[in-house]
Amino acid sequence: MTANGSVGSSPNRVGGRDRVTGAQQYVADIHLVDELQAKLVKIDEGRARIISIDTTKAEQVPGVQLILTPKDLPHPMPRFGPQYEDRPILADGEVKYHGEPIAAVAADTKEAAEEAVALVEVEYEVLPGVFSIDAALDPDADLVQHPSLRPNEPFAHSNIKTEFNFGWGDIGAIEGEADYVIERKYEFPMVTHFAIEPHAFMVAPEGDELKVWSTIQHPFQLQKTLAKLLDLPLSKLRIFAPDPGGGFGGKQHPKLEPLVAYMAMKTGRPVRLIMSLEETFQAVRRSSTRVRVRLGLTNDGDMVFNDTETDYLIGAYVDIADRVASKASYVAAGPYRVPVVKIAGRTILSNTTPTTAFRGFGVPQITWARECTLDEAALGLGIDRLEIRRRNLPEKGVEFIPGDTPADGDWRQTVDKAAELIGWDAPLSEGRGRGIALGLKSGPTTGLSYSTVRLLADGSALVFCGTSDMGQGARTVLSQIVAQEMGIPIERISVIMGDTAIVPYDQQTSASRSTVLMGTSVYRACKDIHGKVRAMASRIHGMDEADIDVDGGTVRFTGEELPIVEVVQEGLGSLGGEVIGNGEMRKDKEPDHPLAGSAAFFEFNCTAIEAEVDDETGEIQIIKHVTVGDVGTALNPQQVHGQDEGAAIMGLGHTLMEVMIHDEMGRIRNMGAIDYRIPTSKDLPAELVSDSIENSDGPGPYGAKGVSEGSLLCTAPAVGAAVREATGLTIRDLPLTPQRVWEAMREQT
Amino acid sequence: MKEFSYERPESLDDALRLLAASGSEVEVLAGGTDLVIAMRDGQSQPKVVVDLKRITEFYPSLMWAGDTVTLSATATMAETVDDEGINKHFPALAEAAVVVGSVQIRNRATLLGNICNGSPAADTAPPLLAYDAIIVVAGPDGTRRVEIDEFIVGPGRTALQDGEIAVALELRLPSRPLGSAYERMTRRKGTDLASVTLCATVDDAGITRVAFGSVGPRAWLRTDESGVLADPDASDEAKAAVFEEIFADATPSVRSLRASPDYRRAMLRVLGARAVRRALRRLQELQGVS
Repeated sequence: MTANGSVGSSPNRVGGRDRVTGAQQYVADIHLVDELQAKLVKIDEGRARIISIDTTKAEQVPGVQLILTPKDLPHPMPRFGPQYEDRPILADGEVKYHGEPIAAVAADTKEAAEEAVALVEVEYEVLPGVFSIDAALDPDADLVQHPSLRPNEPFAHSNIKTEFNFGWGDIGAIEGEADYVIERKYEFPMVTHFAIEPHAFMVAPEGDELKVWSTIQHPFQLQKTLAKLLDLPLSKLRIFAPDPGGGFGGKQHPKLEPLVAYMAMKTGRPVRLIMSLEETFQAVRRSSTRVRVRLGLTNDGDMVFNDTETDYLIGAYVDIADRVASKASYVAAGPYRVPVVKIAGRTILSNTTPTTAFRGFGVPQITWARECTLDEAALGLGIDRLEIRRRNLPEKGVEFIPGDTPADGDWRQTVDKAAELIGWDAPLSEGRGRGIALGLKSGPTTGLSYSTVRLLADGSALVFCGTSDMGQGARTVLSQIVAQEMGIPIERISVIMGDTAIVPYDQQTSASRSTVLMGTSVYRACKDIHGKVRAMASRIHGMDEADIDVDGGTVRFTGEELPIVEVVQEGLGSLGGEVIGNGEMRKDKEPDHPLAGSAAFFEFNCTAIEAEVDDETGEIQIIKHVTVGDVGTALNPQQVHGQDEGAAIMGLGHTLMEVMIHDEMGRIRNMGAIDYRIPTSKDLPAELVSDSIENSDGPGPYGAKGVSEGSLLCTAPAVGAAVREATGLTIRDLPLTPQRVWEAMREQT
Repeated sequence: MKEFSYERPESLDDALRLLAASGSEVEVLAGGTDLVIAMRDGQSQPKVVVDLKRITEFYPSLMWAGDTVTLSATATMAETVDDEGINKHFPALAEAAVVVGSVQIRNRATLLGNICNGSPAADTAPPLLAYDAIIVVAGPDGTRRVEIDEFIVGPGRTALQDGEIAVALELRLPSRPLGSAYERMTRRKGTDLASVTLCATVDDAGITRVAFGSVGPRAWLRTDESGVLADPDASDEAKAAVFEEIFADATPSVRSLRASPDYRRAMLRVLGARAVRRALRRLQELQGVS
């Protein structure tokens, strides 16, 4: 028996109607009695020493209840962060990046708060900042972080935060075996997440509790952070995390919640801070990079070695940027069998917006460099660009990164599918070119997801889990698992999320993990219920439990088949009640692994592009965009395509138009939607084809793998390759704006 | 946004009286798609906002009479785009109006407002210049008619004086067969501000007019009376020399984030050639029909 909405079907998105009609309640839609409106005091400088903050005039504005400055905070300044506790609640004596908050106003109205912000007098001295890799590495450069903040760190007296070294084999010993060696540098600029819902925070003191509303992706991490900062038990911090309006990694970690918590505690009233889209540019961005790739190959195109250096320009505080850089650098050699690999990665501090997780987690930057360099090698060797990739792919089950998860898919199927869909060997029209590129990203390396499923007496069910549904459709997929296992239609299932006082702990919603990790947890909670149903059936029918089989919504025993719900209703009897199942999915740390954990799965994608370049204007038109992912099993095919298409279009954004522009003083010049362009529906490829390879070989329920990032990993190199074939131009920096392509064409002639 | 008083007069006289009483601290609102944003960002802080949408004289917003179409201050971009006559006789205006903002913006924004806002990048400025639009201005001393080339002054500035309202825009049918086309350069295909806007018209006497914007303080209108641009047999070099002269006053800003001055200058020539080619084709179609 298959219930409506079971695994493998594509039921309507749970919560989708509310999301598209505007009925969904985002943090900014929630109001509390007696609430205060907060606004941040900032200066328009990239870096400056704060001399004094005078709030006298601002305090006179009617309705102003609090102007919080560093002197109102504990000394030394409390700091926090997911990797290093380096981010202060407010700028600590120095504004270290454009827009770092200096003080904050809470007032009865937003207008009063704005007026007061304008009246806060900040005296400051502008300091020279470092806004690029070269400037930060200059031996004479000022330090972004004072060495006292970084005790015991080897690079504390420089702007290098951390160095990572990975690899296997000895380059020196094998170098001679390469017939062909190529070395290239590729740059990837600063881009920002641009979630349609900007960050929003609200904190309300209630008795000895703090209630916190946030657009956060990881509510339990926020709870831990605030508990430590404020010395409160976890039980006294209740985090509400309403479904975010897009996250893309930019809402993973706490940002301004601690500041708002201090304001709420000072005033004793609920305080809300709703950021503008413009302000999000000063909150989150992707690390820009410079990646040097040196590849050694045989004349036949077999890879001999890969020697890669990655420099990640991170912001003034680390956030999760070290992890981004190390995890991505670790897979720098990509989905290839390479006998010898040497990877040296660095994170470099700068006076810019702190960088954080962003869909692809550092991998798109390296993939842009590796895949483009590989194309240049193929051209140099006279080998077809598809062929050079196919011949170096590992077979399924081959440990291509020593000590890590072996290749977990038949990746050649993915590549061949993409080649077929783009028509790799078909003749090309004038002015057009094609490109193909591969992307590989490690899935989660650790995980801990608990869930509870309550099968109620009327055959409906509640699912409790700490996953955040920010548009990826977690509510739908988790409901489908329950529909499948309980044999009840999806309409009778409710998923409860986003309240740490109600749902059990979940580590985080990131790394395309939720279907695999939380999905397994929910599946196990269903299995827990199955066990209880088996006991019920045994009791009712006087049978041995061993002779009863419960699976997929059905109870089977000799000659009989009953729906679970029927057995449960009989078993519960006249008092009614419910059957409760608990699930847990744990992926522990592996202390000896370079990343402290092997990949739960790999996200593997092949993107193929056909593009046309206007030889007068430099405009690139994407004629056809093919993306194929190795997904294991598509629990909801429509959502898999949705994620795949969404990531592909986001990839086109950083490929073709997105870039944060700074002036020479480190001020961001294009904050907001007017001069920071993301693709609209009119910028889509003329044809966008998303396909999947399904071999049910993933670690998740029913053989699923995670799918939310794959198609963004290698968009840029596939487009770059198509542009090269169309024009003969090799462009080694992004985005490929009409002006950049035009300038390259002009230099070429 | 600062507090302001909101007035919604029902006659033009009332509106003019309100303007006279409010001095320079008044803003006139039609579509509001520029004004409301400027007020929200604090760039505009009027004490009084006078909404024109209830003024009875402004309806119907778009009216044909003889050889003239009159678009009142409340005529929206959407109405402009949808009008059959405008599409037939002033296709470059329809092409420019249909790329302003988004569908929602075009349902709200007015054609006249696009000109009164004074943006150098206003999409409809080049076609209105090339078609010799007349702006009808009402003030305390009566009504005056201003050629659009005189009306447009500079960034955020027009010939409107304190106390005056631009009440209508008039377009007269071309006196002789005229082909025309609009081109623009943007960073993406979706909603965007243009880095170059350009309209070309070619008539049956071989006179080419080129109006272009977003490359200086205002949109300019230039004429090629030599016949070179309209001559399909003229050499590329000869045409390039004419374009060189036409675009001599282009001074794209070095501070702009949208495109570099070099790129904009180069695109002027590319779009100029494309617009002239399309205008010629349209002229030939017209002549074929007549």
